[in-house]
Amino acid sequence: MSDGDGLDPMRLWREWFVKSEKAWSDALTDLMGDERFSNGMGRYVHEALHTHRMFSEAMAQYLANLNIPSRADILDMSDRMAHIEDTLNQIQVELRGQRSQLTKLAASAPGAEERKRPARTRKPETNDS
Amino acid sequence: MTADDSRSFASAGLIENAAMEPVTAEHPAAGDDDNFDAHVERVVQRAILRNIPGLNLPQSQSELDVGQTPKELVYSNETARLYHYTPMLDEIYRVPVLIVMSPVAKGYILDLAHGQSLIEYLLMQGHDVYMLDWAAPHREQSRLGLDEYVLDLVGGCVEAVAHDSGEDDITLIGYCMGGMLSLMYTALNVGGPVRNLACFTTPVNGDGMALFKKWMTSKSFDIDRLVDQIGNIPGDMINGSIQALRPLQRSANQMRLLNNVQDDAFVKAHLRFDRWAVDQLPLPGELARKMAKDFIIDNKLIRGGLELRGKPVDFANIRVPFLHVAALYDHIVPAEASRDLIDLVGSEDKKEIVMKGGHVSLVAGGNAIFRLWPQLDAWLAARDQ
Repeated sequence: MSDGDGLDPMRLWREWFVKSEKAWSDALTDLMGDERFSNGMGRYVHEALHTHRMFSEAMAQYLANLNIPSRADILDMSDRMAHIEDTLNQIQVELRGQRSQLTKLAASAPGAEERKRPARTRKPETNDS
Repeated sequence: MTADDSRSFASAGLIENAAMEPVTAEHPAAGDDDNFDAHVERVVQRAILRNIPGLNLPQSQSELDVGQTPKELVYSNETARLYHYTPMLDEIYRVPVLIVMSPVAKGYILDLAHGQSLIEYLLMQGHDVYMLDWAAPHREQSRLGLDEYVLDLVGGCVEAVAHDSGEDDITLIGYCMGGMLSLMYTALNVGGPVRNLACFTTPVNGDGMALFKKWMTSKSFDIDRLVDQIGNIPGDMINGSIQALRPLQRSANQMRLLNNVQDDAFVKAHLRFDRWAVDQLPLPGELARKMAKDFIIDNKLIRGGLELRGKPVDFANIRVPFLHVAALYDHIVPAEASRDLIDLVGSEDKKEIVMKGGHVSLVAGGNAIFRLWPQLDAWLAARDQ
């Protein structure tokens, strides 16, 4: 590790890399924009998905035989948890609304202190835009 | 030693133990091997902590204190989560501000840490801030398309802000793809509650997204087949696509980290940015399909023809005060993709600011703190009538 003062070849190399990164990245991006690369990538994505699907189906059967949950089972559970989370969010929103209503009612009662919400009366100090 | 090595030390428990157990001057009793070993271990730990910078840093990305500004959930529907940030002043501007995040990006980029938070800055200036942040869609939500995102989710949040704040007017601020959603909503709701509209690094010209355009128009790529097969587009796939736009940037950032490893503040800021950069949300399948076909392949925002639930989307219908902020070195939304926006919008009061910086540093970097945020505040304040 360099202390930043001495002549550290690794540090010099890193600084060179940082400075020249943009040029290297541009060259790689140009390469990825090439028609052949784009076609190859498109094929790769679809082939990888196909392979993944075949492997997943085979593995799911294997795991079912071993009585072990598969990825699909975990995703099912994840979806159910997400639904529970959604419901909790709705309850949280509803409770906030109820609390707000109660606060308004309490504030409007005779003798109640004025509800403390920021006043929407702020004005810009100068109009410089 | 690298930063990863530092974290390995930390994760091995050395740091935590060293921090929690004060080293005393006591010497172990002679013959007590266990005590002697423990004493030596503590001395070594203390020496490591004192002499190797960076070891007091969080041990994992999840320990980073991002998104700490107090907020409350006020609306939740499908993947939309609307938060209201607690005002920091007793007197605030009349028109509430709703920030619409990109559906693939988490909102904490605008609230990274104390002093590095656009949200906190706006609150300190007296704005009433809401944020539409997105949750990861579950599998059944792959049916959500652009129509639902613009008309139901953004629309629902606009109504919720109006109801919660008690104001009929709101200011919309859209970041990246959130800017596209905000533009579409405003264009389709002329005379609606949107009083001002600001967009950050918002793409409108699909031809300007050169690499994505080449990929999606290649003979072997079929977006329909992809969406039909996997449903939602995984966050890793989106992250990989974004990384491909500048493949060595992440490595260069790691090099910068090594060169500044003695600087704890730099390392912490780097870790926060790095966490966000790889923390992409999945994109609902139908939304991805529509964006790929209508925006990238057919470039309908420029050529015309984009419709949502049968209504044509025309940015020329937007008449409210408009601000577009673009980044000079943005490789994700390059100038070719965003520079037409200012001409497309029909507002008379419109302004474009192009600032030095990249896609993210534009809103959360040093330049943002000292240059963009004050300009944004001034623009908002001047239009809070």
